[in-house]
Amino acid sequence: MHAARNIALCTKDCLCLFICPTGATDTENGQIDFTKCLDGCRLCVDACPSHALYLVFDRYPVKPDKDVAVVSALDNLLESKVKQELIGAALAQDGSGGAKLAKAIAHSDRVLAEDCAREARYMLPQGSETRELLTELLARRGDPGFPVEVVEQLLELLQ
Amino acid sequence: MEYKEPHSNGALASICTNLSKACDKQMRPTEAGLFGKLAAYFSQSAGVVGPVSFNDLDAYIASDSESGYVVAESRAQQIGDRGALRCVTWGKKVTAIHKSILTRYAKQGNSLLEGNNLYVCEACGFIAIAKEVPELCPICKAPASRFSKI
Repeated sequence: MHAARNIALCTKDCLCLFICPTGATDTENGQIDFTKCLDGCRLCVDACPSHALYLVFDRYPVKPDKDVAVVSALDNLLESKVKQELIGAALAQDGSGGAKLAKAIAHSDRVLAEDCAREARYMLPQGSETRELLTELLARRGDPGFPVEVVEQLLELLQ
Repeated sequence: MEYKEPHSNGALASICTNLSKACDKQMRPTEAGLFGKLAAYFSQSAGVVGPVSFNDLDAYIASDSESGYVVAESRAQQIGDRGALRCVTWGKKVTAIHKSILTRYAKQGNSLLEGNNLYVCEACGFIAIAKEVPELCPICKAPASRFSKI
C-alpha cells in the first residue's frame, strides 16, 4: 500500500515534502517514488491540504460470485457493443464521409463494451475470473502471432 | 462457474483494454502494457466482412434497447446487483443517444457536425456534439477532464 498523487489536484503547497520521512514525495516527474514510499505510512495523504494524495493498494478483496443470468445478459450486450464498434471502426476507415462520427461511435461502443466486461466478472485484474480467462487463453499457444508469453507473464505478475 | 460460449475476439479486446485501464488505475504499468498487447492481438483478429453503412448499426441498437438492456435490467433488479444496474442505466441512455445522433445524421448529414467538435466520455461513452467540452457528463456526471476529443 503506497501513496500516489493526482497531479491535477495538487496545489503545490508541498506539505507532503515536509512530512515524508524518506523523500518519496519529492520527485522530478511529480509521481511518488514507490521504491522509497513506506508501505501503509499515509502521512502525506493526511497532510495534503488539497486531497491530491491517495493510497494505492497491493491487495484487493475476493468479490462475491456474479449471478449467472446477469453475466449472461451482460455478455450478450458486450458482444453486441463490440459488433457496433467494429462497424463504426470500418466506417471510419472507408472514407465515405462521416468518418469522424463513426470514430466517435466506435470509441463510445468500446467504452460501453468495457463497462459490460467489468460488471460481467472482469472488474479486477487480480480476480479469479480474470485468472480463469488467462488460463484458458494459454490453449491458444501456437496460434499464428498469439503472444502466449504475455499471458504467462500476466499469470505470474497477478498472483 | 459456467456461463456461456467463449468470447469473440472483439469481446476479448474490450475485456483486455478494460483490464489494462484497471491496472493503470492501480499503478501497475507493466501489467497495463501486457493487457494492452493482448488487446492489440485480439483487435487485429476481429473485424467486419464486406461493405458497411451507418444503417447497419440500427438493428443492434434496436435489439439492445428493446431486449438486451431490458433483460439485464430486470435480472439485476431482481437480485439487487446495483453495479450491473448502474452499467445498464448508463448504457441504455448512451445507446438512446447513439440512436438520436444517427437519426439526425441521416437527415442532416455532415451539417450536423459543422462548427462542432465530437467528445466522448471515457467513463460512460456519452457522445457530445458541441463547440466546447461539456463541464459535466449529463449521463454519469464525470468532469470535463474525462472527455476525449475525437
